[in-house]
Parts: sequence; structure tokens; C-alpha cells
Amino acid sequence: MEATQAAPVKYDMDVVRWFTIAAVIYGVVGTLIGVIVAFQLAFPVLNFDSPYLSFGRLRPLHTNAVIFAFGGCTLMATGFYIVQRTGATRLWSNGLAWFTFWGWNLIIVLAVITLPLGLTQGKEYAELIWPIDLLIAVVWLSFGLNHIMTTAIRKTSHIYVSNWFTMGMIVMITYLHVVNSLALPVSLTESFSVFSGVQDAMIQWWWGHNAVGFYLTGGFLGIMYYFVPKQAQRPVYSYRLSVLHFWTLTFGYVWLGAHHLQYTALPDWTGSLGAAVSLAMIIPSWGGAMNGMMTLSGAWDKLRTDYVLRFLATSLAFYAMSTFDGPVMSIKTVNALSHYTDWTVGHVHAGALGWMAMVSFGALYHMVKKLWNTEMYSDSLVNLHFWVALVGTVIYVVALWVSGIMQGLMWRDYDEYGTLTYSFVESVSAMHPYYVMRAVGGALFNLGTVIMLYNVVMTIRQASATRGVNAVPAKA
Amino acid sequence: MEYLHTDWEAMSRNDWIGVALTVLAFVAMVAAYVLVFNPKNKEAFNSQGDMALRDEGEHNNFGGKK
Repeated sequence: MEATQAAPVKYDMDVVRWFTIAAVIYGVVGTLIGVIVAFQLAFPVLNFDSPYLSFGRLRPLHTNAVIFAFGGCTLMATGFYIVQRTGATRLWSNGLAWFTFWGWNLIIVLAVITLPLGLTQGKEYAELIWPIDLLIAVVWLSFGLNHIMTTAIRKTSHIYVSNWFTMGMIVMITYLHVVNSLALPVSLTESFSVFSGVQDAMIQWWWGHNAVGFYLTGGFLGIMYYFVPKQAQRPVYSYRLSVLHFWTLTFGYVWLGAHHLQYTALPDWTGSLGAAVSLAMIIPSWGGAMNGMMTLSGAWDKLRTDYVLRFLATSLAFYAMSTFDGPVMSIKTVNALSHYTDWTVGHVHAGALGWMAMVSFGALYHMVKKLWNTEMYSDSLVNLHFWVALVGTVIYVVALWVSGIMQGLMWRDYDEYGTLTYSFVESVSAMHPYYVMRAVGGALFNLGTVIMLYNVVMTIRQASATRGVNAVPAKA
Repeated sequence: MEYLHTDWEAMSRNDWIGVALTVLAFVAMVAAYVLVFNPKNKEAFNSQGDMALRDEGEHNNFGGKK
């Protein structure tokens, strides 16, 4: 029996509430910018001949907004929520948590200012200029220190697996961010990477794929292992499989980055190694997905009425799908067709929309009800959000799978004289209907986030009206 | 076999550090598998499977409240 049963614990949940609200807002903003850039690809006139609104500047704003603003606030909200509840203790430092909140939001504001101005380091998913990189390191470490110290002062004997995933993410992202961002500043806004040539490319994708592995996968698996059992009211199907899931991902993921650089100046064996370990990662990934699914054993009937659980269960299906899709794409023969095509973008969004965002929505809805000690304003709107998001994701992913494979086939097609059958422009032209479909799918997904924002705002207003504005929620 | 040939004389310090870390990671991974799959540890691990449910008093393994 853990200390949690002995006496009610008072938690520091105000900062979690603010991170939760921020995540919901950034979900709307990040996906909206994604819809804009998707329409720009289909209809280039929407660039409006303005450098500030051009695809090249808005696209990194979209990726930073969804990954670091929406994803980051979700991870910090859930991280602080889970570590307190599973450790039966308050945060090590509530003040430091507020520093993390305001610091992280300052970084997001600085990204919104600098990226449209064209201030960038040109490194994918690490575009922000060096002073902001320093700020990211400081704020991220404040989150990490607080999480680790809260774990250290826990009242329970065991460290729950979700906290392991979060701490693994904290350690690895610190390491990856610092090394990948090493640069020589030449002015306040300009710097040069300390790496060059193929080493620079290797470091970039060592960071790039491990951001996927430890942040977008590991961090969100921490969310999954807490909120799926919680929402289903079932224990984790196999806890020891979850432990194995954590350690195999942690040991394995760091090798994968080289599969982004097949057929480049990188030594051939590194790409082969990256592909081999990518295939090996199917085993723990599917083990984890099955573990999550099997946790629903005996609770499948809840999916008919529990719309929050639908988000969580669906996210597991997409997690399994994208962790199969990715390793297959890393195989050299498949990569020869898929690389540089929209197949990659489709794969990424199967993971980002279907896995990461869906599990986030499930966790955020769950937390909103707990944090404000109320029911959702409208369960029907949660259900509507689910279907709109699911249909949008499927349209988006299918459109880009088809267009990506078509692109790859068009680029490699030769005629009887050995010359290319299609010009590049012809392949671009052939993509147009799929780009429109992708934009429509993205717009549906964005609509879902707007529905969520409205529902969450009304839920909070409803809770405040019930209790009075200054009342403290009972359970949190 | 030629593909697997290694010129050990040409190994730099960084290469050796990489080799050491690789072997260490491999051994640690094997240790994790042995630890987790050891039948003696099954009960100890799986007894934590309901930890997420305990923070509100839902402590029994079938999801019901005690």
C-alpha cells in the first residue's frame, strides 16, 4: 500500500492548469499554420509575394509550434501532473515550475517573431537562432531538474514507468539539443555550426530522429502509460513489458538517425546500421502498442461511451502503424523510392496527428476534468472532435502516401533511351490534387482543435461558475 | 568476410570510445532483458501495474474501487 492512501496529498496543480490551457491554444495555432502552408503548397499564390508569409518561413513556424509549443506544453503539463500523483508528493519547486512555464512561453513568442523574419540556423527542427537555443537549454533544464528532484522526494517506493519515460526524454533531449546546437556566434542573430559537411548532416539527423524517438515517442509514451490505465480504470496489461519497452527504446533509438541519410556521403555501413536497428525497434514499439491495447481488455465496451478513451485507443493504433511504416522506409531499397517524397511527410503526420496529437487530446481532456473537478461542458463535442480529427488524419495520410509513392515512381521512370520520362515540374503538377486533399485533411484536424478549445473554455467557465471564481478545486 | 574486415591499427581514440560504448549498451540491453524476463521478477514488476490507479484509491487489480 502506498502513501497515497494514507492521507490526501495537496499537489501543485496551478502551473499544470496553465500548461494545459496553453497546450490547447497552441494546438489550434500550430495546426492552423500547418493548414496555411498546406494550402500554399497547393496554391502558391497564397504566399502573397511576402517573404514574411512565404512557405519557407511559415513551415518551420508550423513545426516549432506543434512540436515545441503544443507538444512541449502537453509534455510539461502531463509530466508535472503524473510525477506528483504517482509520487504522492508536491513539486520539488513550484516557483521553478512557473519559471519553466513563462520561460517556455517566452521561447515560443521569440520563435513567432524570429522565424517569419527569416532568422534561422537552417537546421531542421532546430531552426531557432543561438540566443534562443541558450534559453531553451536553461528552461529545459529547469523542467528536468524539477521533475527529477520531485521524483527524488516521492513518497512512494517505486518510480512509475511514465516517469522513467519522461526522465529518459529529459536526459536525452538535453544532450541532443546541446550537441546539435554547438555553434560559433558571429552576431546576435547569426552563427556557424561547429560541425561541417557530412558530420554536420549526421549530427543533424542524430538530433532529428532522436527528437522523434525521445521527445515525440518516449515523452508521449509516458503519457500513454499513465492515462490509458487511468481512463480505462484498468492496470497496465504487462508492467514488465512496459519496463522492457522503456529500456529497449532508450538503448535502441539513438542508432537510428543515419537512416535519414541513405545514399549520401555518409559511410554506407552507418545507413545500414541505422536501418537494421530501425527494424529491430518494431519489436519493442509493437510490444508497447499491444501492451496499451491489451490494457483495455475487459474495458472495450467503454469505447462506446467514453470518447476520451477513444482518442487514447486510436493513438495506439497509429503508434503501431507509424512504427511499422518508419522502419520499412529505412530499408535501403524502399528508401530509394520513398526518400525526398511526400511519403515521408505522410509517415511523419501519421505519427504526429494520429499518435502524438491523439494521445495528447485524450490526456488533456482527462486532465481538464480532474484539474477543474468537473465534467466536460459537452461530451458530444468531444465525440465530434474525435471523428473530425480521425477523418482529417486519414485523409491527410492517405493523400500523401499516394502522392509520395507516385512522386517516387515518376522520378525514377526512364524511357527506352535511358532518359527521364517525366520532368520535375510534371511530377509537381501531378501532386496538385493530393496537396488539396492534404490541406482539406489538415483543415479538418484544425477544426477539431477549435472544437476542443471551445469545449475546454466552456468547461472551465462552467466549473468556475459552479464553485465561484476563487474557489480551489477539491481533488487537485 | 572482406566487408567485415577491420583495420585495428587504424582505430583512433574516438573509434575505441565508440566501440566501448557500443559494447556497453549491448551488455546493458541484454541485462535489461534478463532482468525483466526472469520469472522470479515477474510478480515484483507486475505488482506495479495498477500504480496509476492508486492515487485516487482505485487499488484493486480489476479496476474497481476498494
